[in-house]
Amino acid sequence: MTRISALAVALAAAAAAFATGPISAQQKPPLTVGAIFVGSVNDYGYNRSMKDGLDEMKRNIPGLKLIEAENVPETAESERIMEGMIQQGAKLIFATSFGHQQFAFNLAKTHPDVTFEHAGGWMQAPNFGNFFGATQAAWYPMGVAAGKMTKSNTLGFVVGVPIGYAIGNVNAFEMGAHSVNPKAQTRVVVTGGWSDKAKEAAAANALIDQGADVVTMHVDSPATIIQTAEGRGAYSIGFQSIAARELAPKGWITGLGFTWGPFMTETARSVIAGTFKPAMVRQGLGSMMAVAPFGAKVPPDVRTLVTASADKVAHGFNPFTGPVTDNTGTVRIAAGESWGGDKMGNFDWYVEGVIGKAK
Amino acid sequence: MNAALVLGVLASAIASGTSLLYATLGEIVGERAGIVNLGLEGIMLIGAASGFAATAMTGNPFLGVTAAALAGAAANLIFAYLVVGRQANQLATGLTLMFFGLGLSALIGRPFVGTLIAGLPKLRILGLGSMGDPLTAYDGLVYLVVPTAILIWWLLFRTTWGLGLRAVGESPVAAVAAGLRPGRLQYQALAIAGLLGGIAGAHLSLALTLTWEEGMTAGRGFIAIALVIFAKWNPLWAIAGALLFGAAESLQLQLQAAGADVSPFIMNMIPYLLTLLVLIVWGWSRQAAAPAALGRNFVGVE
Repeated sequence: MTRISALAVALAAAAAAFATGPISAQQKPPLTVGAIFVGSVNDYGYNRSMKDGLDEMKRNIPGLKLIEAENVPETAESERIMEGMIQQGAKLIFATSFGHQQFAFNLAKTHPDVTFEHAGGWMQAPNFGNFFGATQAAWYPMGVAAGKMTKSNTLGFVVGVPIGYAIGNVNAFEMGAHSVNPKAQTRVVVTGGWSDKAKEAAAANALIDQGADVVTMHVDSPATIIQTAEGRGAYSIGFQSIAARELAPKGWITGLGFTWGPFMTETARSVIAGTFKPAMVRQGLGSMMAVAPFGAKVPPDVRTLVTASADKVAHGFNPFTGPVTDNTGTVRIAAGESWGGDKMGNFDWYVEGVIGKAK
Repeated sequence: MNAALVLGVLASAIASGTSLLYATLGEIVGERAGIVNLGLEGIMLIGAASGFAATAMTGNPFLGVTAAALAGAAANLIFAYLVVGRQANQLATGLTLMFFGLGLSALIGRPFVGTLIAGLPKLRILGLGSMGDPLTAYDGLVYLVVPTAILIWWLLFRTTWGLGLRAVGESPVAAVAAGLRPGRLQYQALAIAGLLGGIAGAHLSLALTLTWEEGMTAGRGFIAIALVIFAKWNPLWAIAGALLFGAAESLQLQLQAAGADVSPFIMNMIPYLLTLLVLIVWGWSRQAAAPAALGRNFVGVE
């Protein structure tokens, strides 16, 4: 018995040697890319969208080697994990969560030969760029879909933390709904964290109790809220990953997802070619964001309207063009003015038609 | 206040109070035997993760609940070995157990993140209402929680076993003099506590959210420990405590949905403010309700 297990161990060791050995003999990959995620890539949400983008990049560039790490905390631990990826030969690193920024930036200084791309931040260096989706205007067509599908004229929006960007998402959603259904109102419930599943379920229930028949959300993973809405026969609209559709076979309307693939591919190619230029990239529908496939219950006329609205936004339509009035009746964006770019972080008010307090 | 809001709060309080009540009942049994377990949060996480994993693998949520209960009990027996068998400090060991649970549950749950499960089936009360109506359709664990509380009360206050267990919590020396074996009773108490803590976690992952996520209990284990004090170590009072806290959590969400003119930041504090308030008010009544030997290790008699 002992001899057999010793043999097994020896065989395993030999197999391992073969598995690792011939790598140097193989042809060198054109580029090794490292990527860190703050959560699990199976979350049907933000991390899944990043994983899908990286996989697309890998498919686009034959031979590219991808090293990934999930559940990387937004602490100095992330710096050690990225350092390890650099030791394994990574020349491009995607730090995909907001809190990874400073740690990636520290490494950018000590490793000038490695390129870093951070999602959602602002820092820049010759080898450090950042990128994110311009989400706010992209929510407008989601509102169009919700406004057309609602029977109760009440839409529910679960918000994790009411930061300016999240409030902007709610605002564009309501404006889109209002554009096709002037009676549509959006009720907002804040849970107080980006991820508290039990509270998210209770929040979705609360919105449905108050008459909402369409529920959407801005939290890390839409899974619990969509499943809760599905269980109670309400419609849902997803956010973060378009894969969330699988969660609601009956009530799914559509969703807004990030599509990072083209940007990641382009960045990897520029690193291979040695032409990388750092930039603060913010793109919306048509490039970094996409409208998810429609659910079975969405009639053709609504699909046409939503698609047209998404095209309009992709071609530069900005819903935050004055006059825009908040839900207390004060004009916040004057006629002739418009808000875009960095201004999206400044929302501390909800537009007319939203039931909720921003602060 | 509209009718939808009141009904909504009630329905939601029952749903989210259930998990809290199982956890609180477990902690009461342990504390009645003189053991404070600050690791309840970790036990709940282990229950939530193993229940979800078992359900995802077998497709049977009842097996999931069973797995959660057994995993919770097994983890709590490790704790029991340390504090009863090895006389380790209860508070420090409890906190360690919490972190152990956080890590172990992440490991167990990792392959199952994003797996879709059907969850515990909802049963209608006497065929009332429609299936989608939360007031008349709950999962089995909800219907069983109050009978469980009554059962625990009966065990603790109406059986010889319960008398012995409480004696150990009040005075282990006297218990030994009466011919009891404190260590054995404490092991039994902690096994039951782990069982209930595991079920509490399973209710979160298998009934309320249908998902597993790291750290998904979000502090509910600690709220349950506070509820033990609120309940004055009485399983029947715990029913009221769990309902009250569940109601506070759902009330703030329902008020937001109803469009109350209050900042969401203040709303989010309501359940915790309520917990503090209750503990302060309760603190005024000086009647000693805590087991006298709570938190002290019993090292035996000469």
